[in-house]
Amino acid sequence: MRDSIYSFLLFKALYEPKIAFAKLAEVDPAPLRILFRYSLWLLLLPPLFSFIGASQFGWRLGAGTPLYMGTGTLLLISLGYLFILFFGLVTTALISRWMADTYGANASFGRHVALITIVGEPLAVASVAHLSPDVFFNALVLIPTTIWAMYLLYKGIPIALGIPPERGMLMASSLVGWLLVAAVSLLGISMSLWTLGIGPLLGV
Amino acid sequence: MSALSLHKRIEENTGLLIFGILLVSAIGGLVQILPVLNQKSLQAPSTNTQPYTAVELTGRDIYIREGCSVCHSQQVRPLIAEVERYGPYSRAGEFVYDRPFLWGSKRTGPDLHRVGGKFSDDWHRIHLIDPRAVIPESIMPGYPWLAKREAHRAGDIVAKMTALRTLGTPYTDEQIAQAEADLEGLLEIDTLIAYLQMLGTGLDEEIAR
Amino acid sequence: MATTHSSQDSADIYEDTVVIRLIQFSVLWAVIAMTAGVYISAELLWPTMDFGQFWLSFGRLRPLHTNGIIFGFGVSALMATAFYSVQRTSHVRLFAPKLAWFCAYAWQLIILLGGLSLLAGWTSTKEYAELEWPFDIAIAVVWVLFGVVFFGTIARRKIRPIYISNWFYGALIIVIAMLHIVNNLAIPVTFGKSYSLYAGAQDAVVQWWYGHNAVGFLLTGGFLGMMYYFLPKHSGRPIWSYRLSVVAFWAFTYSYIWAGPHHLHYSAIPEWVQSLAVVMSVILLAPSWATMINGIMTVSTAWEKLRTDPALKFIVLSLAFYGLATFEGPMMSFPSVNVVSHFTDWTIGHVHSGALGWNAMITYGTFYFMAPRLVGVPLYSVRLANIHFWLALAGTMLYIVAMWGAGVSQGLLWLSVDEIGELSFSFKDIMASMQPFYALRLIAGLIFLAGTCLMAYNLSKTLVGRKAVVVKPPPVDPAYAIGKEAAV
Repeated sequence: MRDSIYSFLLFKALYEPKIAFAKLAEVDPAPLRILFRYSLWLLLLPPLFSFIGASQFGWRLGAGTPLYMGTGTLLLISLGYLFILFFGLVTTALISRWMADTYGANASFGRHVALITIVGEPLAVASVAHLSPDVFFNALVLIPTTIWAMYLLYKGIPIALGIPPERGMLMASSLVGWLLVAAVSLLGISMSLWTLGIGPLLGV
Repeated sequence: MSALSLHKRIEENTGLLIFGILLVSAIGGLVQILPVLNQKSLQAPSTNTQPYTAVELTGRDIYIREGCSVCHSQQVRPLIAEVERYGPYSRAGEFVYDRPFLWGSKRTGPDLHRVGGKFSDDWHRIHLIDPRAVIPESIMPGYPWLAKREAHRAGDIVAKMTALRTLGTPYTDEQIAQAEADLEGLLEIDTLIAYLQMLGTGLDEEIAR
Repeated sequence: MATTHSSQDSADIYEDTVVIRLIQFSVLWAVIAMTAGVYISAELLWPTMDFGQFWLSFGRLRPLHTNGIIFGFGVSALMATAFYSVQRTSHVRLFAPKLAWFCAYAWQLIILLGGLSLLAGWTSTKEYAELEWPFDIAIAVVWVLFGVVFFGTIARRKIRPIYISNWFYGALIIVIAMLHIVNNLAIPVTFGKSYSLYAGAQDAVVQWWYGHNAVGFLLTGGFLGMMYYFLPKHSGRPIWSYRLSVVAFWAFTYSYIWAGPHHLHYSAIPEWVQSLAVVMSVILLAPSWATMINGIMTVSTAWEKLRTDPALKFIVLSLAFYGLATFEGPMMSFPSVNVVSHFTDWTIGHVHSGALGWNAMITYGTFYFMAPRLVGVPLYSVRLANIHFWLALAGTMLYIVAMWGAGVSQGLLWLSVDEIGELSFSFKDIMASMQPFYALRLIAGLIFLAGTCLMAYNLSKTLVGRKAVVVKPPPVDPAYAIGKEAAV
């Protein structure tokens, strides 16, 4: 077990992603085991960092004074954040599993969960930027990390799922399409909730 | 004839395909645009809305020429925050003499529909020539050339007003005859300021209050 | 085989030299107009970058950027690909090749002089229809002649069915003609000035009927024509579902037209027009995505082509951004989202997810595919094309995310009020806080422009100094042949 994929999943995958993908190609892990023993720890990081950052320093949206929120509200937002990340991971893995047949990859669901976990890992770790809750600083850290994660997706799919790189490229592009739509949906849904009165006060 | 075989005919006949595209794409326009074009209430001016004077019209056309509407909207939405920030929300009747409309689609700078009367002429003059002289954070370009050009050379004002009268703007013969004299001695910047100062003042008095 | 043809004995070979010329013009406009875009994005950071010159002012350069991209880069690319594909799907040489040459050059002249006229301050201000009436008339004439060449070629085709890509190009020509003429109706005053036939709220409705559908039938429909020809050609696979493409075409043509007024939410136009536009915008998602799925499924089994051909990558990725843009659009038409997103940089981001991610990428892929085939030599550098791919992807992503950040911040901060209903932030503070996002956007634009310049170099090394390969129409399958040949 020492040098199996499990020892790689947390943090080693950060600096040796290709080895992690190669090791993942050899096993079909149980999805729940990956999800709750490994992925969950990563998913906890962004809400945790944002909770600490927002309660200590307050969010700076750019203009004016920092925005402080009560502990209750902050907890609610962090829980919502965790839920969205969890939901995002599971649905992306599901969609990846669903798409896989089209591209000749028939790995188990567990392997897809692990794959998406490795791809998202740099983002989870980079969310340490939330400790300094400044929108621009976060954008500066997270946007390059996002581009790096996309690169991992394109590199990782063919290795981990054992398909030719060209088919992997097609599948990764389809997943990017889904992720973009998911991101913009999230944006749209949160804006709608906000204008309907959930969140900071808006004069609508 | 089944739908499929009908489609086979369209698929193999250039004329039918052209006709089909024209028909199908025109329906939306006909049902949506024509009623709007015939809606009289969209053509009735608010009680205080007057045709642009020769000076204001010249200023408005300079506003158009310089592309001000690229960064400034002229459409206050009926939202608490906007009414508070800018003033009463925009009514259709205020725009009936606007050819073209200048609502804009982007607010890189603030909305200008209620800017009339909010700043002094002198403030506008400094601001237009060098925006950062009055608002240090401003990212608006300066328009120094407006203070150098004579207004009557910015376009044939008589031809403009005559064209607008043809389109239905109720200009009197006297207004048109007087137009060139009105512009005498003014610089472009003066007419633009005159336009900015009348913006949004065409609202019914009860609403404005 | 790379012999040239003289026009006398060329009655049965494809007219491809005009295609090469149009590709070169298109790339030239891409570089110029994107440079203008990068320049004005820098002006938002350093507003004195116009150096007191009226023609470098943001308000004049911005329409030059949009018109240069849409009509210079976009339409030249559409003309090139339409001329290329209509000959090959009709198995016949272009109808009236001299007219095609006239269209190609007249169009470039319109863009050149039109661009200069925008800098001179001749503008109607109607977005994407800024050019003044002399250009509007010239555009209408050239556009009709473009239609004559295109439909003339189809009318003389040797094969019975009209292939699906030609419907999209056909819809582009017909609907844009209709929109252009109706929206630009005006009374001329002087050479550079006219007054719109419509006023105020009515003018707004007509303009966004045009503005929205210029995007719809030019940037979406026209480029779908490109996809429907080049994707199957490229991947060596037939369209995944021809029936789906038929249904999607008519649904697209019917429903797109209605959605324009969603650009005018919370404005003084009638309520029912706004509501109808929202409903139709949502319906529009179905044909848009049907087409995307059709494309993705067509290419999904042709992966081995990716090994040798960098061009296909661009087309594959363009479908992902097409999916994003066609989803984001209907979403932004919901009043509860629109109230935040309208007037902000989110709109700019949305436009660019379409323009960079979809239009530019699919055009790049198509050019990389066509150029070597047109002159019969391999692409000058596959490596440069691969680098271009990653630059285009990174530039687009960075651009979209930066504008999402800017747009959401603007939208929320403008609207936020405190407990007693007073505004929380002043406009100028919000504006000043946009600088970091604008800086990111400038970097994104530079990255994307760098990729485009690489392509310009790569393509000119491939094309310049070479003549078009002589290509004759292949024999037509008798089962689909028209007229006399069917009897043979």
